[in-house]
Amino acid sequence: MPSPSHSEADLTGALPLSCRLPATAGVGLKPEHYTAVLSTYPKLGFFEIHAENYMGAGGLPHRYLSRIREDYPLSVHGVGLSIGSAKAIDEGHLDRLATLLNRYQPEVFSEHLAWSSHGGTYLNDLLPLPYTQETLTRVCSHIDRVQERLQRRMLLENPSTYVEFTQSTLSEPEFITDVLQRTGCGLLLDVNNVFVSCTNHHRDPLAYFDALPLSRVEEIHLAGFAEDRDDVGASLLIDAHGCAVASAVWNLYCQVLERTGPVATLIEWDNDIPTFERLVEEAEFADRCLATAWRTHKSSSRYE
Amino acid sequence: MTKLLYQNAISAMTLAAALGAALTMTATPAAAAEGDNEKCYGVALKGKNDCKSGPGTSCAGSSKIDFQSDAWKSLPKGTCEKTASPTSPTGFGQLQEFKAQKS
Amino acid sequence: MRIDVSRPHGGHISLQAGMNNYEVDFTSALLDTEQPCPANLSAWNGSDPVKRFAVYRNNVVSSLIDALEDTFPVTRELVGDEFFRAMARIFITRVPPKSPVLAEYGDEFPEFIANFSPVQSVPYLADVARLEMFYLTAYHAADATPLDEASFRGALSNADALPSARLQLHPSASVLRSTYAAGSLWAAHQGTIDLATVDPYLAEEILIIRPFWEVLVVPLRPGAGRFIELLANGASFGETALAVSVAFPDFDLTTTLADIIRTGAVVAFNFNEAL
Repeated sequence: MPSPSHSEADLTGALPLSCRLPATAGVGLKPEHYTAVLSTYPKLGFFEIHAENYMGAGGLPHRYLSRIREDYPLSVHGVGLSIGSAKAIDEGHLDRLATLLNRYQPEVFSEHLAWSSHGGTYLNDLLPLPYTQETLTRVCSHIDRVQERLQRRMLLENPSTYVEFTQSTLSEPEFITDVLQRTGCGLLLDVNNVFVSCTNHHRDPLAYFDALPLSRVEEIHLAGFAEDRDDVGASLLIDAHGCAVASAVWNLYCQVLERTGPVATLIEWDNDIPTFERLVEEAEFADRCLATAWRTHKSSSRYE
Repeated sequence: MTKLLYQNAISAMTLAAALGAALTMTATPAAAAEGDNEKCYGVALKGKNDCKSGPGTSCAGSSKIDFQSDAWKSLPKGTCEKTASPTSPTGFGQLQEFKAQKS
Repeated sequence: MRIDVSRPHGGHISLQAGMNNYEVDFTSALLDTEQPCPANLSAWNGSDPVKRFAVYRNNVVSSLIDALEDTFPVTRELVGDEFFRAMARIFITRVPPKSPVLAEYGDEFPEFIANFSPVQSVPYLADVARLEMFYLTAYHAADATPLDEASFRGALSNADALPSARLQLHPSASVLRSTYAAGSLWAAHQGTIDLATVDPYLAEEILIIRPFWEVLVVPLRPGAGRFIELLANGASFGETALAVSVAFPDFDLTTTLADIIRTGAVVAFNFNEAL
């Protein structure tokens, strides 16, 4: 398994490294699939849940998750912490997150480079922020607080974006690289998001990857996008999570794996949810890419 | 001293008699629902916090709400029109709980 | 006629100086299409950022409408999908979520419906929405094990202490006291009773509870709703039985107890409280 050698580890002080997910494919756990999971026990590397769906006190969601957690590694993926907000992290929400993580002890916890709350209003979308020294300092202090409160490292996910800010002074990979270095957090590389954002902003996805410290990638996300057009007819891709992973994204994924070696990979499919069998097929496709990556990297001492 | 009389009326014996009779009327608490049978778990509701996006740019988000539109004229369509006469029985006799639709 | 959709921060946004304006601009423009697209947005090809910003606007509004649709399926069926989405959209603008946990969003929707003039012809709609919010709350409530028969029998053997005993209710339990047939209307939309037999204008009291894993929606007999409410407020068994007997001439203690025992509404008999 890749073991990132980061001098930044010192910066996290006594924070324990989170355990790792196995470098195989997993899927998002949907309530629509609870019974299918328990009746088929598929060979999957892990399940991922959205933290905010399990913040109720009890009931069926916890009943099923507890049972599934007994047999599978787990990734908890937050969608509401609003790490990119101007204001401080919502401590009440952070407390609820800590309760959830204590309850399930997931191998990893991840969140997004985005904001979603402002002035006490939650907007339920992953909204973009300008990339400046000022926002960089702020994001880092928020991640520091999250890691301190949760007593674990988190992974930060690169976003899908549809607009850019004129005031940005850093590129997205530069911004992310600085965040990783300053906070010691890991990278959740969403390859679909890279493809979506690079298409929307006319950038080269491979150059994007090369600008990132890929040794810090501890999880990869793959998903399907929807297509729209902007005002002048240029392609505008939307991170819809409503269909299979596109072939262009599979290609990029294989190219990333050549650089990173095998990494735990999640198939996200949240809209027009397919049958569980279909979702598992998509994961099996990712496993074949991962198998190739294992073979390629077998000779490298780094992966032995 | 009406209050006192009523307090005497609901004596320990009365409460015990009612509770004892109630216990004979019912097999205990929805016990059938425990078990490990998946069928007894009821409906698993969808998760509401997703990372999904809408499929396009021009759905609900960008349209204006106009009260001249068909949306508002359509009321009271829907199923509320086919309701019964005030004399219909409501089926409360058996007092079985209402069941949610299985998804 | 156009209805003025009130702006969530209308008029009193404190425009912070400097870099954080984009959050203020985004927040108001995402929820209100009358607001201009935020400044300082760009696109590589010089295209109008409005179209690109519309992706976010669409995500926010449609995902929140979808969340309300999921929580209030019968309310939606009662007015039709198109009407429901338009009504939900106005609600979202006026009462956007405060918490990221969307299973808790919609608490204020029934009250909004009750005061929403276009649905005055469907007076029972707000109560059906209340029932659906209770259903969701019960679904996510803390787990607790209903008292078993042996424990009830144990309580009986301590008969002298019964009047002062406190019955602890299940944490998922809620009572809806509707002036309409909210429970029967809901049940008719589950296909469990025939809608043709429902008179929506007959008042009903309904217990919504999740004793184990399944949420139950249970019609209550006269006085039973008050009985449960008093117990929930901490009144003793004796006080509760007395008060409800006085207030409801039709109240029958035995059948009411049988009903609440059967639904798993009692999780403990507490005898040690000082009077």
